[in-house]
Amino acid sequence: MSTELYDIPQPDEIDIREKEDAMGAYFMMFAAMAVGLPLPVVNLIAAIIYYYLNRSKSRFVHFHSLQSLLSQIPTTLLNWGIVYIAVRIFVYDDDFTDIHKGYILMTAVANVIYFIFSIIGAMKARKGKFYYFLFFGEISYKYVFTKREDNREAFVNKPPKM
Amino acid sequence: MKFHIQHQETYSRGEVLLRTFFGFFYIMLPHAFVLMFVGMWASILSLIAFFSVLFTGRYPQSFFEFQVGLIRWSTRLNARTLNLCDGYPAFGINATDDLIDVQVDYPESLSRGTLLLRVFFGAFYVGIPHGFLLLFRYIGVMFLLALSFWVILFTGKLPASWHSFITGTLRWAFRVNLYMSFMTDTYPPFTGKEIE
Repeated sequence: MSTELYDIPQPDEIDIREKEDAMGAYFMMFAAMAVGLPLPVVNLIAAIIYYYLNRSKSRFVHFHSLQSLLSQIPTTLLNWGIVYIAVRIFVYDDDFTDIHKGYILMTAVANVIYFIFSIIGAMKARKGKFYYFLFFGEISYKYVFTKREDNREAFVNKPPKM
Repeated sequence: MKFHIQHQETYSRGEVLLRTFFGFFYIMLPHAFVLMFVGMWASILSLIAFFSVLFTGRYPQSFFEFQVGLIRWSTRLNARTLNLCDGYPAFGINATDDLIDVQVDYPESLSRGTLLLRVFFGAFYVGIPHGFLLLFRYIGVMFLLALSFWVILFTGKLPASWHSFITGTLRWAFRVNLYMSFMTDTYPPFTGKEIE
């Protein structure tokens, strides 16, 4: 079964305002810094709010907001792992073992990769280009650009049951 | 940019009494609760706008409109708590008010150099001089606020010069706020008067 897709807008068809809104989605990674709460979940909450505020603006903005949101999930989960390790060590006096070191290093690398790709994504979005992250890019594209039939029935107002 | 709070011919004595004794509960608390979250969102957008101005020289327009909406909202709230106008301040970024007019022109481009200057030295060349003068103006505002309660209660009017002074102080702080939040490159003037 083939799925029908909407046409992809080209850079010259996209308004500067849409480009800036799409770029802003990737900068949600700095949200925790702005509110002064060093919790990994703040970025994700900000990205979710941003997504819901902007998804109706255009498919271009919708795509970048969704890709930014989805790509934050793995690093957010990894960062929560560090919070968990820190709590175990500082509150429950667990030992700081090599596996902890390995996990922290892996998370740091993941964060750096995420940071670099987000900056690239932001720059591309600012130029009105589509940039597909591994795995998340395709999911976001399919979700945003697939044509769906509206099967919702129109709501009918009725008098109260008497 | 424009910052105008209309001076009313007469003020309601009942509303002044209500605002003074219960304003904290029915105006401040509900607005402050919502504004706390909206303010957090605004600070996130501000930080993103900082990077945007730094890299592209432009403040994202939708972010800018959000920030202006927030300024309008806080102005509506301040105007009521300072007895500058009657009525209940409307909730919302897009809400309007017949008595208050706040407009900020969208800058097509902003200076990256001035942006960095503000971030690193803004506290010195903006914060200290303007903060020092505004401190005295705010003391004057508090003094006038206490007096205006009695004046409105007995005469039903607020002297135009007092209204102008309080509005001017808010206008001055508004310009400093705009400059420090990268929404304009124009250094705030040392006056609360309207400038064309």
